[in-house]
Amino acid sequence: MKTWRAWAVVIAFLAMAGVPWYGSDVLVQFGINALLLAVLAQGWNIIGGYTGYPSFGNSVFYGLGSYGVAIAMVQWHLPFEVGMLFGVLLAVAFALLLGVPVLRLRGHYFAIATLALAGVMAAIVSNIPLAGQNIGLVLPPLNDDRLFYGLALGLLALSTLVVWWLTKSRFGFGLIAIRENEDGAAVMGVNTTAYKVAAFTISGALSSMAGGIHAYWITFLDPESAFDISLNVKMIIMAVFGGAGTVFGPIIGAFSLSAVSEWLSSEVTSIASLFFGAVIVAAVVFMPHGLTHLAARIRRLGWRYFGENVRENRL
Amino acid sequence: MELLAQVLVNGLLLGGLYAVMALGLALVWGVLNIVNLAHGSFIMLGAYCSWHLFHYLHVDPFLGLPLTAAVMFALGYAVQRGILNLIVRAPMFNTLLLTFGLDVVLTYLAQLAFSADFRTINPGYAGHQWHWGAMVLPAVRVAAFGAALVLTLGMWLFLLHTRLGRAIRATAQNLVAARLYGVEPRHLYAMTFAIGVALAGTAGGLYGTVSQINPYIGASLTLKSFAIAIIGGLDNPLGVLVGGLFLGVIESLTILYIGPTFVDVASFGILALVLIVRPTGLLGKTA
Amino acid sequence: MILKRLQLLSSLCALGLAMAAPASVQAQDIVLGASVQLTGPVANTGRYYRDAYQIAIDKINAAGGVKIAGKEHKLALKLYDNQSDVNLSVRQYTQLVTQDKVHLLLGGFASNFQLADSVVSEKYKIPMVQGGGASNEIFSRNFKYIFGTLAPASNYFGSTVQMMKALKDGPKNVALLYADDSFDVSTAEGTRPLLKQAGFNLVMDERYSSNTSDFSTLLSQIKSKNVDAVLVAGHETEILNFVRNAKSLAVAPKMYSFTVGVPSEDFRKALGKDADYAFGMTAWLPVESLKDRWFGDAAKFAAEYKAKFGYDPDYHAASGAADVEALAMALEKAGSTDPQKVRDALAASDFESLYGPIKFGANGQIDLPQLVIQVQNGQVAEVYNAKGFDKQPQYPMPAWNAR
Repeated sequence: MKTWRAWAVVIAFLAMAGVPWYGSDVLVQFGINALLLAVLAQGWNIIGGYTGYPSFGNSVFYGLGSYGVAIAMVQWHLPFEVGMLFGVLLAVAFALLLGVPVLRLRGHYFAIATLALAGVMAAIVSNIPLAGQNIGLVLPPLNDDRLFYGLALGLLALSTLVVWWLTKSRFGFGLIAIRENEDGAAVMGVNTTAYKVAAFTISGALSSMAGGIHAYWITFLDPESAFDISLNVKMIIMAVFGGAGTVFGPIIGAFSLSAVSEWLSSEVTSIASLFFGAVIVAAVVFMPHGLTHLAARIRRLGWRYFGENVRENRL
Repeated sequence: MELLAQVLVNGLLLGGLYAVMALGLALVWGVLNIVNLAHGSFIMLGAYCSWHLFHYLHVDPFLGLPLTAAVMFALGYAVQRGILNLIVRAPMFNTLLLTFGLDVVLTYLAQLAFSADFRTINPGYAGHQWHWGAMVLPAVRVAAFGAALVLTLGMWLFLLHTRLGRAIRATAQNLVAARLYGVEPRHLYAMTFAIGVALAGTAGGLYGTVSQINPYIGASLTLKSFAIAIIGGLDNPLGVLVGGLFLGVIESLTILYIGPTFVDVASFGILALVLIVRPTGLLGKTA
Repeated sequence: MILKRLQLLSSLCALGLAMAAPASVQAQDIVLGASVQLTGPVANTGRYYRDAYQIAIDKINAAGGVKIAGKEHKLALKLYDNQSDVNLSVRQYTQLVTQDKVHLLLGGFASNFQLADSVVSEKYKIPMVQGGGASNEIFSRNFKYIFGTLAPASNYFGSTVQMMKALKDGPKNVALLYADDSFDVSTAEGTRPLLKQAGFNLVMDERYSSNTSDFSTLLSQIKSKNVDAVLVAGHETEILNFVRNAKSLAVAPKMYSFTVGVPSEDFRKALGKDADYAFGMTAWLPVESLKDRWFGDAAKFAAEYKAKFGYDPDYHAASGAADVEALAMALEKAGSTDPQKVRDALAASDFESLYGPIKFGANGQIDLPQLVIQVQNGQVAEVYNAKGFDKQPQYPMPAWNAR
């Protein structure tokens, strides 16, 4: 990575790390939310962006992580760290057990299968007394947003490092090979099943940690909010908007879309959702390769960039 | 025993309604390869359309279905021609994202236009039922079931035995060859999507007589339709009918023998199982 | 390189945008903040609170506002739409407290929202009065800053069970159906012992998923078990579907009673004649006997409300208006806007309002008796209260084709 790029990343990181000191309470709250979404987007990036398997059910890992922390802290009175570990274990177990059969599917079918699994888990959890059934659980309150911000930032840094490592490692090349031509990769000796399951598991572990932090931060969870299906679309849009299959794309996508959404919710309130939907439609039509691609090409092409995208993809 | 028979009948009738809901989605998905996450919103809009026809013009909801279908057809054509056609050749899940955005837009436009008050379509015969022995058959559900049979059969005949239907299938399979034959693909894609939306709208009109309408009913109906389309198989409209009936019966039996809170476990569970074991669905041909 | 810097810059700008929030109220005004469901699946009931808060604040301001230390202060409302999203409502309450710097908080609708939102008021020690969450869970955490004007969920069916016992040829077999959310589970948990004590035969006790649209199977079971009375704790949409399903399956128990819907005008309108015979409960009716400092009495309140908003208020709206009044009274009693003093004044509230007597229990929740009401010929009739029968209840319910 070129030196100036490295410096830019360091400066950005320091700027973000300093927010709890120079930012308002609301900014910190927004930051925590955006950081956790960025982690989800990065997690998705691993299985969707690099491996080419668009999971529509990563919310299941988020939910498992949330419930791991909640059950450990509320029902068994264990500390937060143990809860996080428990959440990660649940996610890893899920990814290993169900990843194998589900990763045999491709494209749409894989997407719907993961969505179905997320739905099943939400429905199952709403019937488990230990998890508080559909009412959910109320966690012990901890009034320390700085801590949560730090945890979320740390987790994002970890996720980004993992993704960066992917771009340099043999494992990562294997994943990209699977994305570009799975059969070819298999012929070349890549153990596609093992690689895919590993990617799914790593993606799941990171997502579950995001869920765990969120649960403790909000101090409340129920199946609907923990396994929120709309999270899936949010994380995918953020990753794609920023640039799927890149190291920083998901982060950029997560922050920019979160900012837009939050600003809309507080200024234009009732039509916030409407605008957000319109933004998504416009983004998919005019800049389907994401912000990173846009930024790279727009100097050369100017406004024609958008027209090019449409011409490329339309019937 | 009587209870079981009644529950089975309930399930079948419910399944018929489910099948109508999923038909449009399966058509668009199976033929055009467009996964429409906004499907539920179109069902919702169709329901509102029927409601307005009923409330202001006193058009009977069943007789007015062709009108609703026509309105929704026009809407679907415009959406495909104006928006979806722009991303047809993009990677698969761009359509997922775009239709999701569309779903959000349609839902909140409906909220602005109609408010969140719930409405019902309540024709005079809405509570009527027929008795067969000890069993009760709600009239509206039977009519919806009948509509399901008619529409499914109609779709099947249309796709397999009419020129337009064959042209649609040809375009979907081989764009270039179809063009060589003088087919205008943009028009055909738009026609197909329009039919899909018209079917969704029709399902909405039926749904409005059975349940209640508000701008937010779309999301869960989309998920249901997905499950049915996949369970039944995307190749064949008859598969959707089988999928719908199957799901309706399974859900009713789950309520009876396991508990009402396990319905989603059953439906999503079966969906996941079908995908893992037999992705082409109960009636689909193995690829 | 420029790309990265641009991204960094734009991200920071975006963060900066999120910080901007103009305040368009005068410095002297006392600002009440709320995050309410104006869009999303629960918007139908959420908007009652927006309307109620507005009319109450306008009325109080018209009478000169709130008098503190000899000076008159007007009330102002800062309202956000949480789009029926619990997580967003929590962030919005945080924003109201930390950024908009509102003085006091008002709640939105639904127990699960209040459960989460009250954590914010407790965290920042700003009193919150809410009229939308009845679940006992909200008030069982020893929180000091949350107050509620809805009577406890566990007792919603209390007066109904008493009435059932007092009926001649009353029901024997009872079915209890309840949705799986906080409020309805609380209600069911409270209802079971009441039924047992009163000697009823609980033949069906089923929990169903929220947002269920099809009750055919449950209704078929009700029919086959010869249930006399059905008690349903659920949401308006589910109860609407329940009644319609019951009609289409020709299931007519001797009576049925619902925790929501019956007091609300749009529910009755949606069902039309099918709403008849349904029992429900309300802690509030727009009667002249409920005197109020600002509106005169509950009947006048209802008339003004209908004139302004075009629909009849139900207990949600009355509860919301009472929340504003409780805060106004507490401010005057405390003689300051200091949150701690206002909180103490709230805890000691004791006054008559259009909603009834406002007095909070030690845990912050009000306790009001529920009146049993029934839809009779399209109108809501009070049939049973603490003193016994009022209007005669129409019991048993005739078969659907005999109406």
